Amino acid sequence: MKRRDLFAASLAAGIAGATRRRGWAATPEASAALGRTALHGTIPHLVPIRAHADQIMDIKVCLRPFRPAGPRMDVERVAGKTVVHNYGHGGSGWSLSWGAAHIAVGHAAATLERRVAVIGCGIIGLTSALTALRAGLDVTIYTRDLLPHTRSVRANGSWTPDSRIALTQQAGPEFAKTWEQMARYSWQTYRDYLGLPGNPIDFRDNYTLSDTPPDAADHAPTPTDPAKGNFATTGAPQSSAEFAEYASRISDIIPAPELLAGADNPFPVGYARRTPLMIYNFGAYGHLLLEEFHQAGGRIVIREFHSPADLADLPERVVINCPGYAARDWWNDKSLIPIRGQTSWLPPQPDAPYALEYKGAAMISKSDGVMIQGYDMYGLGEMDGVGNSFEHPDRAEAEKAIGIIEDLFTRFQPRNG
Amino acid sequence: MMSFSFPLRATALACVMACLPQTGGAWAQSYSTGHTGGRAGAAQPVSFSAEQVAHGAQIYAGACAMCHGADLDGGHDVPDLSTYFTARWANTPLDRLAGYIAHAMPLMAPGTLPPQDTAALVAFILHHNGATSATNAPLPMEEARLAKFRFPAPITQPPASGGKP
Ligand SMILES: Cc1cc2nc3c(=O)[nH]c(=O)nc-3n(C[C@H](O)[C@H](O)[C@H](O)COP(=O)(O)OP(=O)(O)OC[C@H]3O[C@@H](n4cnc5c(N)ncnc54)[C@H](O)[C@@H]3O)c2cc1C
Ligand code: HEC
Repeated sequence: MKRRDLFAASLAAGIAGATRRRGWAATPEASAALGRTALHGTIPHLVPIRAHADQIMDIKVCLRPFRPAGPRMDVERVAGKTVVHNYGHGGSGWSLSWGAAHIAVGHAAATLERRVAVIGCGIIGLTSALTALRAGLDVTIYTRDLLPHTRSVRANGSWTPDSRIALTQQAGPEFAKTWEQMARYSWQTYRDYLGLPGNPIDFRDNYTLSDTPPDAADHAPTPTDPAKGNFATTGAPQSSAEFAEYASRISDIIPAPELLAGADNPFPVGYARRTPLMIYNFGAYGHLLLEEFHQAGGRIVIREFHSPADLADLPERVVINCPGYAARDWWNDKSLIPIRGQTSWLPPQPDAPYALEYKGAAMISKSDGVMIQGYDMYGLGEMDGVGNSFEHPDRAEAEKAIGIIEDLFTRFQPRNG
Repeated sequence: MMSFSFPLRATALACVMACLPQTGGAWAQSYSTGHTGGRAGAAQPVSFSAEQVAHGAQIYAGACAMCHGADLDGGHDVPDLSTYFTARWANTPLDRLAGYIAHAMPLMAPGTLPPQDTAALVAFILHHNGATSATNAPLPMEEARLAKFRFPAPITQPPASGGKP
């Protein structure tokens, strides 16, 4: 996660030549933007989050499907089929899903075939299948697991469209344009799901908290050790600075953060900002998408593929391939690098609908539970979890993340009214 | 609850104007047959000149790119003029496409494009979508002559080893 960076970048929008994300406070325009303080009286009464390790209901672990060159979205001819790839969306799969689906289904539609197979039913496969149905195609999903059992629902579930999506060098400038197209298209599609019963897609005020001036935090030098080299020299990313940042390209449509002035800041920390954050309520949203898919006449076949040659016996001649991280095995794509991440789930707290980030831990109060994730508790930045494929819960890590939020609220003095 | 927004847009409009009633007329049928206006007969191989493509690119950049995108990708609220577009218009007589552009585009000033600009835009769009010109003869401007050409169906077979790994 790098939401801090994300909104730092959004503040940097419009500053010519501001390529480094941490440079915003140095420029007058950005300081002016940051100067906007939340209107007095707009910070609601906040109910404390009951963050205690003995409240854990579930710990979920996931591997982000990261490709240094960005997601694979090309078309190839294999086993007599036209295969449109749509996998490898790193830590941004939920956020970019509709835009990626729009591009992939465009390639499929351009073949003029009426029937398409979609492989995989994670968030990428399901949105691709729905997009194909909407384009008038007959769609069958072939998958090992349905959405609730996929890696997708082991995510954090918020708008993080350029989280570990690519390495700047390896993806190149063309991908930045594709990314922007995907991000804009997705954002607009998500608006269509706002305000529905069950709130499949929702917004939370996200409070970014710090004991030190946020400027200092944002200016903290990215840990780079020249002796370690980089992806080009070692075949693996070595520092946060290698990861691509594209958020400033869409800052015109993404709500910007505001500062909380001292008297309005309800948190026991020196510095706080508030940013409206789009979130995905996995339960409500997942059911809605599957329902839509079935209602529109989509079919699902439970099936596992073992090698590309297995495609030969499918009745469809066009295949949209959305296996996520599993492409490493099933499509033998060794460019996929696992980036481990873990979330803990505590009982839902509908009385406390907000989100926050503090000391490398994130909390989002969602309809299906309070999600707590340690996304950067060891000062590694974007390198946190890179190359780690230990897809098994780490209780100690979960308790450490919950402890950060717990400590914050032991010092929290709820205001009256 | 959500309901599907089917791709009506220009497809439906052109369909109303041009289509014979379709048998089995489910909405999805219009997907690949909407513009063909019946059976795809033998059409002449399409020709356009390099000058037309260059001229079309120039007009496109000034009058169309702001909505349809520099790469013809469209957006959430504007149809693309690339992948989905080829699927919608494949095998359609080109006078329909030229006619649509001439009557309806650019959206804020429809009917303002002179015929040579319209033909140039069609040539540019064809070229951008991978159509090759049989000769360097320019695409005609007159509807009756344009009607002899059809929007080429896309090449269904990508190269055996696809783009980047
Ligand atoms: C901790 C964590 C937090 C994250 N937070 C966010 C976030 O806040 N926002 C965001 O946008 N993204 C986030 N992500 C990233 C996001 O979760 C992924 O990018 C996304 O889930 C990828 O989805 P997918 O559909 O490609 O893959 P998957 O969810 O893995 O789906 C793959 C599908 O393919 C099927 N499949 C695989 N192999 C085969 C086979 N051989 N045969 C048949 N079927 C097969 C599977 O059964 C499954 O249905 C996060 C990731 C992690 C790990
Ligand atoms: C102000 C935005 C805007 C501009 C500028 C614009 N268009 Fe469009 N265009 C649209 C919209 C919106 C539609 C869909 C219209 C509808 O469905 O009624 C469309 C539809 C089209 C279509 C039909 C697409 C399909 O698949 O049915 C074509 C072709 C087209 N435009 C070409 C052009 C060309 C060429 C230009 C420049 C001369 C242009 N447009 C300028 C917004 C624009």
